[in-house]
Amino acid sequence: MIKNINKKIIDFLIIFFLAIQIFIYFYNQRPLTKNFSQKDITVENFSSIVLSKSGITKIGSEKLNKIDEDNIYLEGNSYLENKEYKIYGENIFIKLKEEISNSNDPVKVINSMGVLKSKGFKNLDNKGIIIFKGEVEFLID
Amino acid sequence: MINKILYLIVSLFFFSTSYSDSYVKASDTLIWDSENKKYTANGDVEFKNEKFIAYSDKMIANYVEENNEEIFTIVELFENVVIKFKDETFRGNHAIYTRDDNIIVLTGNVSIESPTRLLTGYELIADIDNNKRILNSADKDSLVEVLLENDSNN
Repeated sequence: MIKNINKKIIDFLIIFFLAIQIFIYFYNQRPLTKNFSQKDITVENFSSIVLSKSGITKIGSEKLNKIDEDNIYLEGNSYLENKEYKIYGENIFIKLKEEISNSNDPVKVINSMGVLKSKGFKNLDNKGIIIFKGEVEFLID
Repeated sequence: MINKILYLIVSLFFFSTSYSDSYVKASDTLIWDSENKKYTANGDVEFKNEKFIAYSDKMIANYVEENNEEIFTIVELFENVVIKFKDETFRGNHAIYTRDDNIIVLTGNVSIESPTRLLTGYELIADIDNNKRILNSADKDSLVEVLLENDSNN
């Protein structure tokens, strides 16, 4: 009789603690994720690597501002470098999910054909197209 | 003496920074399509290579990659085309230059202007390497016009 009662108490305690653990797990996870995604992050003298259709692209800037999960803003002198090109500019916006970067500030690009200067650019990396805006000068080696 | 050396250094600096055998300039946009291997320039386009200098409203240049370098193979010019080669000026509505044979084909209200003559027609085939110019009319009823300078006073 006593053994039966003890067994029931132990079973109850196990179920109780499991329920508490599940409760703690969900209670802790939800607000943590929510807070993280809403937070703006700023990093100075930043450099990192992004994997896109054109391969590995090294990005860097004086100041990186994370707008949200998919958008970052490279503030001040910034660069994008991969095996096809080196883009040196200022104030570059990057849409990570769409693989698009653009800037309305002067930019200098070096590729295997020469050196290009323009007033701004829009890089559609997923299509392999870069649009250089404004007056453009492309000196061919 | 010091002034001359300084002048030489400054001249060499400006020469090295401004001089380039080939270039493309545009006032609106230049689109680099690396998948289709072409550049498209729009607005007051100026293109220079080792052979000639060309002006037009739009340019599409195809390229190939050789030994890790990109080389223009076909250059197509659209609208208000002006090509300057030595003392000749070619004008037309459309032009295609192929690098392999160094031939320029101009069409649409074509003219060749040089110090001593002015030729007009519909199509011009300019073979740069062999120094040949073939000027065609639009059809058999059309004319190729030639204006020669009267140098009897010379």
